[in-house]
Amino acid sequence: MRLLLLALAFAVSGCATTQPDAVLRGDPLDVMFLQMMLPHHQQGVEMVALARDRARNEELRMLAAAIEKTQATEADTMRNWLTSWGEPLTAPPDSHAGHGGMRQSDPQEVARLSALRGAEFDERLLNVMIAHQDDAVQMARWEVGSGANQEVKDLADRIEKSRTAQIGLMKKFLGTT
Amino acid sequence: MKTRNRLALASFTATTAVVVAFIVPTTPAIAHGTMSDPASRVYTCKNEGPETPKSDACKAAVAAGGTQAYYDWNEVSLLEAGGRHRQLIPDGKLCSAGRDKYRGLDLQRADWPAKRVSAGPLTVTYHASAPHSNSNFEFYITRDGWNPTQPLRWSDLVHLQTFNNQNPGTFTNWTLNLPQRSGRHVLYSIWQRVVGSNEAFYTCSDVDYGGGGTPPPSTTTTTPPPSTTTTTTPPPAGGTWAAGTTYSVGNRVTYGGVNYECQLAHTALAGWEPPNTPALWRRL
Repeated sequence: MRLLLLALAFAVSGCATTQPDAVLRGDPLDVMFLQMMLPHHQQGVEMVALARDRARNEELRMLAAAIEKTQATEADTMRNWLTSWGEPLTAPPDSHAGHGGMRQSDPQEVARLSALRGAEFDERLLNVMIAHQDDAVQMARWEVGSGANQEVKDLADRIEKSRTAQIGLMKKFLGTT
Repeated sequence: MKTRNRLALASFTATTAVVVAFIVPTTPAIAHGTMSDPASRVYTCKNEGPETPKSDACKAAVAAGGTQAYYDWNEVSLLEAGGRHRQLIPDGKLCSAGRDKYRGLDLQRADWPAKRVSAGPLTVTYHASAPHSNSNFEFYITRDGWNPTQPLRWSDLVHLQTFNNQNPGTFTNWTLNLPQRSGRHVLYSIWQRVVGSNEAFYTCSDVDYGGGGTPPPSTTTTTPPPSTTTTTTPPPAGGTWAAGTTYSVGNRVTYGGVNYECQLAHTALAGWEPPNTPALWRRL
């Protein structure tokens, strides 16, 4: 019965389907959240990694390194869930989730950041990361509010809390850089 | 009221409702759009160019919050709004939807580029780059006597009209009936998606009725936040993990009765508790 409903649901919604047998193991919303969060994490890691050689503010450099490492660990967890459910790590490019987490402007932003050094770099990275983590907070609240799997929701809850705290720190740094 | 479509719909007994409940997660999570006429603040600054803003207001907005907001001009939204706009968005932050990413849009200035309007019918246009069916659009205007250099509060908004169960295309027009006003005002809109998502979008469009006297010179100097020198207090040896404390490699803490050793220098944050951050803490 549930299989039929799911098949019908996919047909009605017109979404690109994953393997039908895999759908039963991962809740579609949890899967979509993870498939959107993974590329988002990747972009964040790429941007904060630039701080190592470019940031002037020592505290920003320390925060950037901690973000890089913690997000890499979270990404491993997220990949493991998707893999264990038989789901692809990224949504098909033509699916709705495919244009959720990754923005066209992001690779260009990495290029713009790469060209800067010192105080100019710090200010731009802080503003971009505040925006980036603010997006993460939005996605995390969505999963916490509407997701299914408790472990995934717990991770989303920690993402919401830690990103909110990071934004608070970064807004403070903006005054000192 | 916290709307959870999944639960709400799943409680229906009709088979169709159950089917809808399963559709919920597969519908697009992120819609996109904003008011293009009268242009919302985010649309204005995006059109001026995020890296090369022209108006003083957009320059100040970019200086205050960076450029990313204007690349993502179509996402001034809350994914889990579910109609709780007034609970979730604090007074003074209506234009940013309370989001730090969009904080530049909340600047209280009398020189945001504004469309000249007068009382009577006004056709407004919404630009949805990712249209979504079944949505409600609410429109408001600021009360008579509202001052653009004061924070925009919910109580400043006067309801104009709501269009329910709309199926917006890329550009959708509605005609509002503007009340009599003078000087500068804000036309505020809320796009609440109804089926498949709790997401809502918020827009602030500046309009000018004229006759409001000469706008005061833009005295809004972007005051940099006070330079706070963060004093990093060394943690007490073997103390309890505490958010806000800066830990160095080798520092030891207890958390939940378990001992941990710091693996990477960092300032502890809520959400980065030792059991959940093996990159930062090693369990002893």
